[in-house]
Amino acid sequence: MKALKTVGRRPRRLDAEAKVLGELVYPSDRCLEGMLWVEVVRSAHPHARIESVDTSAAAAVAGVVCVLTAKDVPGENAFGIQIQDMPVLCHDRVRYMGDAVALVAAESRAAAREAVARVRVDYEVLEPIIDPEQAMQPDAPALHPGGNILHRGHFQKGDVEVGFKKSAVIIERAYQVPMMDHAYLETEAGVSYYDDSGSLTVESCGQYVYRDQTQIARALGLPLEKVRVTAPYTGGAFGGKDEITVQIHLALVTYHTKRPAKMVLSRDESIVSHTKRHPARMWYKTGASKSGKLLAVWCRLVSDTGAYASLGGPVLNLMMEHCAGPYLVPNVSVDGFAVYTNNGFSGAFRGFGCTQACVAIESQMDLMARALRRDPLAFRRDNVLHKGDRAALDYEMKTKVGAEATIRAAGRGKLYRTRGKFKRDRSEHTRSMAPYIKRGVGVASQMQGLGLGVGLPDYAEVELNFSPDGAVTVRASTSELGQGAYTAYAQMAAECMGVPLEKVRVVGADTKTTPDSGTTTASRTTYAVGNAILMAAGKLRAELDKRAVGLEGISVRETFHLPVADVKLGDGLPHLLYSYGTHVALVEVNTLTGEIAVLAVEAYLDGGRVIFRTGFEGQSEGGVAQGIGYALFEEVLFDRGRFLNTNFDTYILPTSMDVPADIRTVPVEVKEDTGPYGAKGVSETCMVGVTPAILNALHDAIGVRFTRLPVRAEDVLRAVLERRR
Amino acid sequence: MGPERNMKTEIAFTLNGFPVSLSVSAHKRLLDVLRYDLGLTGTKEGCGEGECGACTVIVDGRAVNACLYPAPEVDGRRVVTIEGLMDPENELSVIQKTFVQSGAIQCGFCSPGMIMATKALLDENPDPTDEEIRAALLGNLCRCTGYVQIVEAVRLAAEKLEKRR
Ligand code: FES
Ligand code: FES
Repeated sequence: MKALKTVGRRPRRLDAEAKVLGELVYPSDRCLEGMLWVEVVRSAHPHARIESVDTSAAAAVAGVVCVLTAKDVPGENAFGIQIQDMPVLCHDRVRYMGDAVALVAAESRAAAREAVARVRVDYEVLEPIIDPEQAMQPDAPALHPGGNILHRGHFQKGDVEVGFKKSAVIIERAYQVPMMDHAYLETEAGVSYYDDSGSLTVESCGQYVYRDQTQIARALGLPLEKVRVTAPYTGGAFGGKDEITVQIHLALVTYHTKRPAKMVLSRDESIVSHTKRHPARMWYKTGASKSGKLLAVWCRLVSDTGAYASLGGPVLNLMMEHCAGPYLVPNVSVDGFAVYTNNGFSGAFRGFGCTQACVAIESQMDLMARALRRDPLAFRRDNVLHKGDRAALDYEMKTKVGAEATIRAAGRGKLYRTRGKFKRDRSEHTRSMAPYIKRGVGVASQMQGLGLGVGLPDYAEVELNFSPDGAVTVRASTSELGQGAYTAYAQMAAECMGVPLEKVRVVGADTKTTPDSGTTTASRTTYAVGNAILMAAGKLRAELDKRAVGLEGISVRETFHLPVADVKLGDGLPHLLYSYGTHVALVEVNTLTGEIAVLAVEAYLDGGRVIFRTGFEGQSEGGVAQGIGYALFEEVLFDRGRFLNTNFDTYILPTSMDVPADIRTVPVEVKEDTGPYGAKGVSETCMVGVTPAILNALHDAIGVRFTRLPVRAEDVLRAVLERRR
Repeated sequence: MGPERNMKTEIAFTLNGFPVSLSVSAHKRLLDVLRYDLGLTGTKEGCGEGECGACTVIVDGRAVNACLYPAPEVDGRRVVTIEGLMDPENELSVIQKTFVQSGAIQCGFCSPGMIMATKALLDENPDPTDEEIRAALLGNLCRCTGYVQIVEAVRLAAEKLEKRR
């Protein structure tokens, strides 16, 4: 193979200059001549029946142009990626604090806000359903016509009873992980207007413009071609902008007023209204033989999906698929439930169910290694999955499995090799030599399905254009959320067209000008769009051989269909391709104050070949920061369905002082045969293993197993005191 | 809305080196004046409560959160925003260049605020330690990066600016 010129290197991001100049126009920056400001009247209760809505006082506020309620939704008053169970505007019932009851559009934001306060809604307050276990009971009041269990699953491989009988060590624990907010720095925002051709256009922040188009058209009762959606750039998403946020509300106002409209959610509104990471409870029982072979994994997983479905079903499916980690286990039994409650509303978030399961199984792995007095990394290596093995849900792993390679690389890493020294010797990462400071090193390994999985349409179409001046334009409908995908696309296009990177332009996320490249989720874009670019480049080169480039240039389109598993176990279940990763964390605990500091993290990531190296490292470091947040700080808190922390003063994010300077990202490039240049994806794997690695390091430091996240200073103190007793 | 809220005051200040005067209502935030009255949307809003630093601008040499800063208070002061950072030759400033170079940009929504906080830091302390850099950026949240590339960009900018002197 010839040496690669741009793939695998460190080019400047295509969008970096516009971003450092403050010139890139984000959805919240867009302003249009004569636009109206839109504000939402949200529910006053987590669960209530709406008796009446009186908008007259609101409509009378100077500057208010319209106040819209459920009766103003011309099409189907429902949306949702998988099941349309969420009202655009609620008419009879509200199920969480973020539910929209009315919309106000006014000449100024101040007027719109004042009017919101004057919309009078009479409610019959209902008892909120806050406990998923109770919600599952047959006599529990149903939040939706089909009852409160959105989705359930049971999978079995072998016989766990037999496995446990043979086990020398059995570990049983219950884990609880919190609701987590994506906390992208730009809240949900956008504008809407009629474009020159009469299409109702929404420029916003979504992660899949074609699905947003469908959802808008359905709610407005419009033909698809009358709706245009764009979303090339947004200030972060991480899955939280996958579901509809502001899009339908914006469209509705423009539809009724024929005027441009703008919406930007306040931070409080953002936290209250958008989907979150599912809080979950996970009961695990795992067994291993005396010689250190995993024999059985039994688990029961209950995820709280909140008021509406969104992607609650598929998230549970992935939680089940990844319940036993990247390990070969002969006997598995898993039961999963995704349950409706009035606790906010959950959906897609980096890791997509794997994040939760990984916390539990990697804690179990550590506890078993301890009980067997085995090295935790060696124990993992001895049980790791290989190509050809049967995974936890009893299907064959048919593509290259990089798990072992990442574990071995971690074992060769400085942190793990010299962990004894790190724990004793304070000359590195000096903070304090005091005896009440304890240090520990922990590891965690992980796999993450790539793409949407079997049974869901998963393809990427792109257009490549070669212009007379030798420039190449890539058109793809995925969004640039910050991950650097457009730069990776340009690198691949430059490489396969044999042009310098400066000659490549990427046009993204517009239903009018870019073909359907699928979702910007599931670690799939580099892989899927990259493959489509390679296919289109082949076609384009063939065209170039045949004919001269006219004034218009030559354009070709190609569609790549993601290969999928040959069995179907459920929606998106299972995957054919996975990314793999092993994380090592060094933590320090002050046993007097309970304070925890993460001093160093090493990330060994198999996302196939790395295309955009700087972006890869940046994502990994960002994943470490989010993993620290999930482990130590972040939790959306409720009091009987009411949100308690809705801004960054009380919802605490990791700062520059909480994330270590010492993060080492090591690519373990197990080249994927079907990947463009051997690439897969890494945007989820880079975060998921971080959290359990920290939990395992805490155990190593102070001998305490934390099973509930986040672990706060007061938890550490309580645990230390209990141990002394 | 009471009449008091609507009361307008005339203010005049220097914005990115140019004189500006306009009339604003007494409770207006500097952030809204910049973004909506003057159309300078490089300064971002992430929280509206002084917690995230996305709205950081420099007033009389100090980094401030424009979301908490009452617009009438800038009367007579010098305000610098991200739009005013380019070199006189219309090139990226050193800090902007090192942010690009180090990969400190992902979604970029925190970047203008980070860059302004960096400028205020380096103007005051041209040779900060890594600890000092991290402490100075404590009020600027980034959800995409792990701050590593950002700190590196600041360090690199300090070195380059030092050489110029
Ligand atoms: S918007 Fe000003 S600090 Fe967050
Ligand atoms: S780059 Fe996205 S918040 Fe910093």
